[in-house]
Amino acid sequence: MGHAEALSVAFQKATKVYPGADHPAVNELEVDVPAGEICVFVGPSGCGKTTAMRMVNRMVDITEGDILVGGTSVRERSPSDLRREIGYVIQQTGLFPHRTIAQNIATVPGLLGWDGDRVEARVRTLMQLISLDPDLADRYPAQLSGGQQQRVGVARALAADPGVMLMDEPFGAVDPINRERLQNEFLRLQAEVQKTILFVTHDIDEAIKMGDRVAILREGGILAQYATPAELLMAPADDFVEDFVGADRALKRLALLRVADIDLWKAPLAFVGQATAEVRAKLEGAEVPHALLVDSERRPLGWLSETDLQQELVPATPDISPEPVIDRDDVMRDALSDVLQHETMYAPVVDAEGRIAGVLSVEIISEFLGSKEALSEEHAAVERPTE
Amino acid sequence: MLAAKSLMVADAANKCAPGLPANFCHHHETTGCVAGNGLFCFGWAADNFDRYVGPFFRHFEIVAISVVAGFVIALALALYSHRHRALVPPLLGATGVLYTIPSVAFFFLLLPITGLGLWTAVIPLTAYTLQIIYRNALAGLSNVPADAKDAGRGMGMSERQLLRRVELPLATPEIVAGLRIAIVSTVAIATLAFLAGAGGLGDPLYAQPTFKTNIIMVGVLTIAMALILDLIVVLAQRFAMPWQRARSR
Repeated sequence: MGHAEALSVAFQKATKVYPGADHPAVNELEVDVPAGEICVFVGPSGCGKTTAMRMVNRMVDITEGDILVGGTSVRERSPSDLRREIGYVIQQTGLFPHRTIAQNIATVPGLLGWDGDRVEARVRTLMQLISLDPDLADRYPAQLSGGQQQRVGVARALAADPGVMLMDEPFGAVDPINRERLQNEFLRLQAEVQKTILFVTHDIDEAIKMGDRVAILREGGILAQYATPAELLMAPADDFVEDFVGADRALKRLALLRVADIDLWKAPLAFVGQATAEVRAKLEGAEVPHALLVDSERRPLGWLSETDLQQELVPATPDISPEPVIDRDDVMRDALSDVLQHETMYAPVVDAEGRIAGVLSVEIISEFLGSKEALSEEHAAVERPTE
Repeated sequence: MLAAKSLMVADAANKCAPGLPANFCHHHETTGCVAGNGLFCFGWAADNFDRYVGPFFRHFEIVAISVVAGFVIALALALYSHRHRALVPPLLGATGVLYTIPSVAFFFLLLPITGLGLWTAVIPLTAYTLQIIYRNALAGLSNVPADAKDAGRGMGMSERQLLRRVELPLATPEIVAGLRIAIVSTVAIATLAFLAGAGGLGDPLYAQPTFKTNIIMVGVLTIAMALILDLIVVLAQRFAMPWQRARSR
């Protein structure tokens, strides 16, 4: 399906001073958002992140400086026209309670004067895009769950196929489980529609997860750092960013990595019926001091204990369970959590077919976090889920 | 004393119950219930129903003109002051003062200007509805969810579009609530319109204020009018606002 071209957004010393205020709410903000990327504004309350976002569609007027959308100054545009070309999603959804879901989604096309057939077709397409049951089209917002309402809010913002979307804490009012799902859904949607998105949140984890780039703002609307999530975690610009990112930023970094991204250890492999003497020989000087029993397809069956190795031949049922078995595509943070939960030192890592790909150990993780390698861009660039 | 004496004489001549004027006995029943001023004389009420039809519709006319005029004025004031908030306190004050003027005094104040008749009743009744409808409409507009307004503006609605498409529909339940109170109270106060020479159900009531059947007839008709008008408004509201039912499901 065709989409309008995404537009870049450039803050050029954009400043907002509210009448009667001593200090600017947003102070000479310089942020360039390339077309098609998600830029997250994050910071403590009072840092001006929402104000900065609202300056883009002139819901807040710029005091000094400028913002260019697709190379054109927003100050030269009439607010109504500008807003109809920029998607707008807010935390409390802002759905109109007196209008049906279809009517809500059709708001901007209606303002733009599209004809009825075109609007209807567009509403159908969008409801499909956000995987909402078409039967809900004639319901009212109050009849939908919070998660569904939030998705309708996103569909409504996408209705006229805007080049830029503004999203103010769009998942803030949703419970944590649904939030996670909405975030993933949204990232999949974005992979398809590829809009330029300005996303405001106070949650650094959400910022790291959602953002191609993250702008951290501090009180007074001052930009503290504008960088990719990986850079932010590995090289915080100052103490404020370091504090804001949190003491657990090393752990957060793990959320940006997949198990496949790092070099795994190799365990000596043992097969059923093999002579234990052979296995013991392999154990000499091995990276992992335990032998892993695998089946003929090299799928892990378990770890061999000392008792197992006392026997002549490798038994079919090893003493120690292979759990946790980790998928290569797992995020490192989840993998570490699995390892810690099972109170083991080593965990077999398998590929999509379940065949052994290597062994993950707590040691590898801690070594990796300390290494220069962890700082490189290459490792930090996590593939986003695209299915 | 003299008036009472002449009344008694007339009663005697008409073989009518003491205390009742002669014209009360112009139908068949001159004794029994009516003579004894019973609680409710069905026969008399059935025979004399025609004497209430004219005043009933006149009453309705007074109420309709007053409420419609009051609604238009109050809503216009509410919409204007909603965008010009500085006007809210003076308008609340002014309509409040109007509301506190006793109705009888209001009629008599207007008599030298507008004379006996419909307008002398309608003007005060209209003035009374202003406070009720204005206050409710204003509250309704102020209670429109801020996020709905923000979303509307953020999607590029002009202030006028926002008012028509978002604010007014969402304020309607409260506006209608005000309208209903205004209707019911106007139906009640309009029974005093006869003092302004405007007629209405007050006419038959004050013609025979001691005859119980008469009082009950006027009372029942007044209440019936209030209930019917209220019901019409409620049904219209339900029909016009399906989303309200959806919400309460």
